[in-house]
Amino acid sequence: MLINYFKIAFRNLWRNRQFTFINVGGLALGIAVFLFIIQYVAFEWNANRFNKNYNTLCRVNVLTKQGVAEYYLPPGFAQPVKQQIPAIENAVRLADRIGGGVLSYKGQSESENKTFREDNISYAEGNFLSVFSFPVLSGTPSLAEPKTLALSETISRKIFGTADAAGKTLMVSNQFGNTLYTVKAVYHLPETSDINPEVILSLHTLENAANRDGNDWADPNGTDAALTNIYLQLKKDANISNTGKAITNFLHSVNPASKDETIILQPFSQLHLAPSFDYPLQTYGSLLLVTLFSAVAVLILLIAWVNYINLSTAQALNRAREVGVRKVLGAARTQLVVQYLTETLLLTLSASAFAVLLVYIFQNLFNDFTGKQLSMHILNVGWFWAIGIILIAVGSFLSGSYVAFVLTAFNPISTIRGKLQTSLRGIALRKGLVVFQFTISIVFIIATVILYRQLKFMQSENLGMKLDELLVIQGPTVSSEDQAAKNVSFKNSLTQLPFVKKQAASNNVPGIGYNFSANGITKLNNPLKGDDKKSYSMFICDQNFFDTYGIQLLQGRGFTADEAERSWNNIHSVIVNEKAAKELGFNPKENIIGQKIKWGADFEIVGVVKDYHHLSLRETIQPTIYLSSVSYSFFTVQTETKDMQSKLGTIRKLYNSAFPGNPFEYFFANEKYNQQYVSEQKLGSVFIAAASVAILIACMGLFGLVAFSARQRIKEIGIRKVLGASVFSITQLLSKDFLKLVAVAFVIASPVAWYAMNKWLQDFAYRISISWWVFALAGIAALFIALLTVSFQAIKSAVANPVKSLQTE
Amino acid sequence: MNNNMIKITDLEKYYRTEEVETIALNKLSIEVKEGEFVAVMGPSGCGKSTLLNILGLLDDADGGSFVFNGIEVAGYNERKRADLRKRNIGFVFQSFNLIDELTVFENVELPLIYNNVKAADRKKRVEEVLDNLKIMHRRNHYPQQLSGGQQQRVAVARAVVNSPKLILADEPTGNLDSSNGNEVMQLLTELNEKGTTIVMVTHSEHDARYSHRIIRMLDGHSVTENILI
Repeated sequence: MLINYFKIAFRNLWRNRQFTFINVGGLALGIAVFLFIIQYVAFEWNANRFNKNYNTLCRVNVLTKQGVAEYYLPPGFAQPVKQQIPAIENAVRLADRIGGGVLSYKGQSESENKTFREDNISYAEGNFLSVFSFPVLSGTPSLAEPKTLALSETISRKIFGTADAAGKTLMVSNQFGNTLYTVKAVYHLPETSDINPEVILSLHTLENAANRDGNDWADPNGTDAALTNIYLQLKKDANISNTGKAITNFLHSVNPASKDETIILQPFSQLHLAPSFDYPLQTYGSLLLVTLFSAVAVLILLIAWVNYINLSTAQALNRAREVGVRKVLGAARTQLVVQYLTETLLLTLSASAFAVLLVYIFQNLFNDFTGKQLSMHILNVGWFWAIGIILIAVGSFLSGSYVAFVLTAFNPISTIRGKLQTSLRGIALRKGLVVFQFTISIVFIIATVILYRQLKFMQSENLGMKLDELLVIQGPTVSSEDQAAKNVSFKNSLTQLPFVKKQAASNNVPGIGYNFSANGITKLNNPLKGDDKKSYSMFICDQNFFDTYGIQLLQGRGFTADEAERSWNNIHSVIVNEKAAKELGFNPKENIIGQKIKWGADFEIVGVVKDYHHLSLRETIQPTIYLSSVSYSFFTVQTETKDMQSKLGTIRKLYNSAFPGNPFEYFFANEKYNQQYVSEQKLGSVFIAAASVAILIACMGLFGLVAFSARQRIKEIGIRKVLGASVFSITQLLSKDFLKLVAVAFVIASPVAWYAMNKWLQDFAYRISISWWVFALAGIAALFIALLTVSFQAIKSAVANPVKSLQTE
Repeated sequence: MNNNMIKITDLEKYYRTEEVETIALNKLSIEVKEGEFVAVMGPSGCGKSTLLNILGLLDDADGGSFVFNGIEVAGYNERKRADLRKRNIGFVFQSFNLIDELTVFENVELPLIYNNVKAADRKKRVEEVLDNLKIMHRRNHYPQQLSGGQQQRVAVARAVVNSPKLILADEPTGNLDSSNGNEVMQLLTELNEKGTTIVMVTHSEHDARYSHRIIRMLDGHSVTENILI
């Protein structure tokens, strides 16, 4: 019996292979998208769970009176707190990424030498590796001794290949000078770890002032500079909130000034994803995004299923006669129900298999996109497979049930005769589903168009500066005694190059950031109360910076060569932008050259520059104060883009002789600037993908519905044709109703999309206004796609020979 | 002589739509004896097909009595009717109603499957029937590959494979040319001679002459009966 079921199922599916393909393909596509998103969600969910101390670890946060939570804290409190509170098993300080710089290894021979920049270098407590349970591949996990370090597997392989790194010595050159370290351990950095340093330097190194190169703020026993994250491993039976209270009380007792602050311990399980949307503490992942993606996953799976049910049902009507014949021949209803359910189960299973195949094929592409090493292994948990099986079973049941229960309940004589009354409610439901699918599609189309318009706006808006043809060379990290003089001489040698039109040096560049922000800056005369609380962005550059970057000077002058070569303590002149002038309380319309400001010492304003977009258009233009100093981190040259390779070669030679031991690294200013929009571009790709899948699936649903309707009205069509109806009028007859559905979807989708995108645009300081034509475009696009889908079927029915359709009676 | 296979008394059947009620069968009373070959004739809309559906336990009557093989079946529920039907009744339709996705062999085998006959027995019986009806050579063909006469032969084979007591034929020659039609009528006659009771609805006086008795219907009741033998 079962073989008979499978046999007829297979032959039926094969006979309608075009239809089967669309049906199975649509479901497979939906399932594949679902699987991809679920991989991502599962990855987020699994974050940090590899950690053996997952349940006892927590991060220390300080909650200020204003309700702002801060987890960068002065390192000096960690040890006293640990000694005072018995519930704490271990305290781990981590100065995240402050050690970034250049790693260099001197091997036995020249060919073994390695020098490269690595930004992801952190200083950590001696017990870091064991408390965070990173698997140690070689060496011992303790970094308790100063000048010891641990390398990730990746870095170790990069330097030492397959050789054992333990015991070797490495030079680390960063803001704390050049220090020789001994490799203690090589560790495996788990994919799902939020804390992911590639190189871990012993924090104890910085206890010796000689290893800080004058940066005394980085003293691990200091209680001022908030440079470390502090993690606590609690004893097994400790209560996390009581421990937090005990720490708060202790801190209040030793430092009465901290009375307004509360310590909150953030459990490790809440480090990646917040337990609720209004969670006050910082997390590494985004609960909103995970929720949003989960919702999209479920939605896509849902519409794929709905479609599948829709299409199967439409197709089922072709089976009516078969059902009738079987009943007449003595099939019991249960036998028929089992038969059709078997058939849909077969179909669902093949769609699932096909989906898994799709996932395997496109996994790499998806991983490149998410930047995560996702795979189906991430789903290797019991509950996922349990849910998967239930979903397949329920899905098969639902999609098979129309045929199985509705069709088999009909009187066999009417099914044999092809006279089928389908309930109006069933049709209404299917129409509702099509409206639902098209609503989602139109929302995605509108969102995509608006997103790309905003992106284009940000990329084409006049920035107030010119970034074309600007090549930026990263300054040296490995420093020497006479660094300032070397910087100046390198800068001058760049000027000599024939292909360099303009050049400038600065401590940072547009698109990356400012140098720091400061407050306590006021007009010298009659500052208003509260002016000292205002915050300004500070930026260090030389005399050529504004000219090279095409930034317009409104008043006064730029820096002079003399000013640009002074050391940090000898600066007396500043340049401000319009915003800063206004913030300081000057009228930017008036000439303010020669006015003085006070920031500790006095400074004279020598120039005012026009406001420009130093950072992306997401941010408002900051009030900015420009300082001149010889401390340069970036050298910018303006040159035509042709022959870039040979020009780079020339500059590289100059660089290597000026800054031996430093890797030559460069980028183009406009590319770097545009990298600020990577997240918008990614979101754009997600929207395009989501819109395409949604439209594709929606069209399949529509296709099924039209096929269904055409079949229902086959006799009507035949009679109309006999009476002289044209192909066009019949196409119109069949299409009209469905296009109405798309129109309804449009009416629902427009306000939803408007609301959502308006919300999204609020994140951008400079944004487009949403114009009406975007909606019109989306509506017309959806209508056009729907029309194509519908007319295909409609024309097919309309050109069919009416004699055939009438004969079936 | 023989027992009544079918005895219906005052049978009524209405079709209702929202506005009108049509009387399809109006206090119809008929008897068919075991081994009889009866033809039912009448103009379109006289209730022939309705009668056949009720006799075939495919449809329910709205009133009256229907005794099948000595059992009152009026008021039987769907499941009981289906059970009785599959063991006792075979059908032959005007439009053959073979399942396109199944081969000749598989189509004929279907009633046996639904009667839970074992696979080995099924094979034997299907081959026997196909052999008898001279369509053995077509056993692996699909319905579309056969001529109309051959398709109806397969349909007859399917109707008799389960050795039903009663065969109901609804215009069995309606879609066939005269020579194929005669062959099918010959087949039915042979089956009847072997003891199967046959009730056949037809428009054709020619076909009706193969039967023992013609029941003529008009407006939902029987008007005359012609006994031919």
